[in-house]
Amino acid sequence: MEVQGESWLTTKLDAFADWAQKNSFWPLPFGTACCAIEFMSTVSSHYDMARFGYEVVRFSPRQSDLMIVAGTITDKMAPVLKKIYDQMPDPKWVVSMGACACSGGFYRAYHVMQGIDEIIPVDVYVPGCPPSPEGLMYGILQVKEKVDRDRRALRRSKKNRKPKHAA
Amino acid sequence: MPPELPSFLARFPAGSVVPQTGAGAPVDQETWVVRREVLLDLCRELHASRETRFDLLLEIFGMDYPEREQRFEAVYHLYSIPNGRRLRLKVPLAASDPTLPSVIPVWKAADWFEREAFDMFGLVFDGHPNLRRILTHEAFQGHALRKDYDAAKRWILTEDKIWQPRLEAPERGDSMFERMTINLGPSHPATHGTFRIVALVDGEEIVASEIEIGYLHRCMEKMSETHTWQQVIPYTDRLNYCSSFINNVGYCRSVEQLLGIEVPPRAVWARTILSEFSRIMDHVVANGSTLVDCGALTNFWYFYQCREEIYGLLESLCGARLTVSACRIGGLLADLPPDFVERSRRLLETIPPLISDVETLIDKNRIFLDRAVGVAAINGEEAVNWGYTGPCLRASGVGLDARKAHPYDLYDTVEWEVPVLRGGDVYDRYRLRMLEIRQSLSIIRQLLDRGVPEGPFVIDDPHVALPPKDACYNQMESMIYHFKLIMDGIQVPPGENYGFVEGANGELGFYCVSDGSGKPYRVRVRPPCFPIFSSFPTLIRGHGVSDVVATLGGLNVIAGELER
Amino acid sequence: MTVDPKALRLPGVQVHPTTLEPRRMTLAERLYLPLLAGMMVTIRHFFLNIFRFKKKVTIEYPEERRAYSHRYRGHHILTTRPDGSPRCVACFLCATNCPADCIHIEAGESPDVNIEKYPVVYEIDMLRCVFCGYCVDACPEEAIIMSNNHDMAFYSREQSIVGKADLMKPFTISPDRLGYRPYYPEEDARHAEMRRQAFDLVAAARAKPPARDAAAS
Repeated sequence: MEVQGESWLTTKLDAFADWAQKNSFWPLPFGTACCAIEFMSTVSSHYDMARFGYEVVRFSPRQSDLMIVAGTITDKMAPVLKKIYDQMPDPKWVVSMGACACSGGFYRAYHVMQGIDEIIPVDVYVPGCPPSPEGLMYGILQVKEKVDRDRRALRRSKKNRKPKHAA
Repeated sequence: MPPELPSFLARFPAGSVVPQTGAGAPVDQETWVVRREVLLDLCRELHASRETRFDLLLEIFGMDYPEREQRFEAVYHLYSIPNGRRLRLKVPLAASDPTLPSVIPVWKAADWFEREAFDMFGLVFDGHPNLRRILTHEAFQGHALRKDYDAAKRWILTEDKIWQPRLEAPERGDSMFERMTINLGPSHPATHGTFRIVALVDGEEIVASEIEIGYLHRCMEKMSETHTWQQVIPYTDRLNYCSSFINNVGYCRSVEQLLGIEVPPRAVWARTILSEFSRIMDHVVANGSTLVDCGALTNFWYFYQCREEIYGLLESLCGARLTVSACRIGGLLADLPPDFVERSRRLLETIPPLISDVETLIDKNRIFLDRAVGVAAINGEEAVNWGYTGPCLRASGVGLDARKAHPYDLYDTVEWEVPVLRGGDVYDRYRLRMLEIRQSLSIIRQLLDRGVPEGPFVIDDPHVALPPKDACYNQMESMIYHFKLIMDGIQVPPGENYGFVEGANGELGFYCVSDGSGKPYRVRVRPPCFPIFSSFPTLIRGHGVSDVVATLGGLNVIAGELER
Repeated sequence: MTVDPKALRLPGVQVHPTTLEPRRMTLAERLYLPLLAGMMVTIRHFFLNIFRFKKKVTIEYPEERRAYSHRYRGHHILTTRPDGSPRCVACFLCATNCPADCIHIEAGESPDVNIEKYPVVYEIDMLRCVFCGYCVDACPEEAIIMSNNHDMAFYSREQSIVGKADLMKPFTISPDRLGYRPYYPEEDARHAEMRRQAFDLVAAARAKPPARDAAAS
């Protein structure tokens, strides 16, 4: 077994961590408006997001790895959003839920941020005003796929970077 | 016939108070044009005099008419609970000097409304203790609702400019604790919506607090000036998003009154039923979140189950769950689904058991009683002075309900009563909402028993409502009307109108001004929770931080409506 | 419940109460006895759910779906003529009536002499769209309708601008996936009949599927 570079153990551990992470996100609902009400529907009995292992809704950014921005982000809220995003530990993902968070929606106005991607990176955009709970769940399942895909790509690129016959 | 003028008007100098009458005067309610010099004295008289007794200040807001000599106007909507009378005061102001006296000494509700008028129009209220921006952020420049402000002009707020409050309260000799400032929000699990509460605590007790709002100011009023009358309806959905149907009804009613049209009985019937269902949805969220904040999560799931059932009904009518946009000016967007009555009846069976479950869990539960009884209590007189309406006012012993006091739609044709409680605290607000849910169910049951009225679901007037699609495909004339309505919008005759409904948390008013073009000149929303929330620092003074959380849910402050 | 009969009817309230009458606890409440009744409620729900005595409310979403309304306002559909071309005549009414300004149309001259214009580009910015259905209300040709498909998510904002090809995808045009549109099958037999005669949208789309050139979103 090779000792240098990515050993068997660490790669397997990575894969295990990915598997664990994508099946048990701890979402931070950054709910500001109407979308937050639909988010509540998503976690309540009819849709029950807990079925995917996303049960532990954390309001503390330090304990969560998936931020669901649900609702309009105004210019007044923007510094707060940025701060909370910065406080989340890596690796972290962001779901932008609803038209307002994604693009400002129909509020092309003096106090509304035209999409949260002005200040923080977004992994998955979920359209709708507000998206139905199914739509949100579909979006979160896309994040799951993205975790899988991105990490695999990351690992592959790391492996490729390593010279095969290093001393 | 205009009501008689009160006798004390004779004491004011001639020409300082001019009741508007005759052609061009607003027909919706009594309107007086008042010179700013006498405003405060007049308000004192209006409030105190036995003749008038205008005890409730509904709202204050600005208007901007750039082409007039006196460009700005401050508008006051007053209401007298004993007399059931409404009055509008207009104070014209010159652009060079838009100052006027503050009326906080008369009505405490004026506090935030004056700050808002300052923020949006730059009106300066002399004597206001804390006249700073309320809805827009600290780095904002200009006054957004002035006509010459570009709707899309944004200002960027950076972290160093964020307002930091300095709270002060008189020292008490007996305190053993160090004072500490605690910040709740704007992103905090217990702030339903986005508010920032900064509290100065002495040990466990809050001695002073200040609230910062505006984190969800979405510029709905400015946006409505750039859209046609019909296009404003989706914006109204997002005011109080827990009961968006009532907002639709309120706005449509106001525009319909301005147009002077009559809505067909079928639409009125459906509007009444769905408004009541929406009221249930709203109360359920308000109570659910109060209980969640006190640690009772189970009830939230039961409550949300009723909500989901009602969503199903709304979805069958209009295709959306939350933001329904189900009304159109002159009626509804589509005909009622064939199984509407059947579905509604099923709801009447599924909702009461869930409500009873929660009542069994909570009503006599000492754990909740200890958290809620006597917390954040406000008596009727104070509540009226703070501008309370809706369940919070009725929980303080004042039985004002617009559905009873000024019946609209079908509310005067059904048997129901306004529940009133006298505790004025968190518990009574919770309890009152439960009683209202029962009343709403009873109203719905009576209306369903009456059967669906036959007829069209939207007014048959091609100047207001889109012609039916059949006609549009087959008749040239209808096609032309269809094009005209969409390209130019509804041509609302010039005028102004204050239309109101009893929203889920108080009187929801829409003051619409038309200048005769296809777009609203101004749509002003009277948000019921705005004055209620402005009293929050006085409500929580002397209570603990955990009581803040318990109180917030019960006031049912919905950010979308609070900040529009 | 303390209801003051005088306070119920207006204008009956002459004085606003300046005193408060908070609820007083009974002895049983002081002893936490009513909690037992509350526990019975949760225990009842627990057993009813665990032994499936009542219908389970949870919808196992990706595998199972609830019955959506026939008027659901979801993903838009551009309907087609029997030859597979869009019914849209690029009249811009939908774009005008859209409160969000999310529809972008570029008109071109139609090769068919009976039709004046057709949309060269027809794009909807799904992230701007608020799904209010105003475009459907505005369309004089029944060219844009909505489906009940709302399983949408995008990885980037560019991806979210949905073009003609995606809007005309035949898989979205199956009768049970249609959403908000001017006529509903359950509504009026006469309407349905007239519509069937005018154009049968489903059959037309199936007979000649339009070219699929875009990747699945």
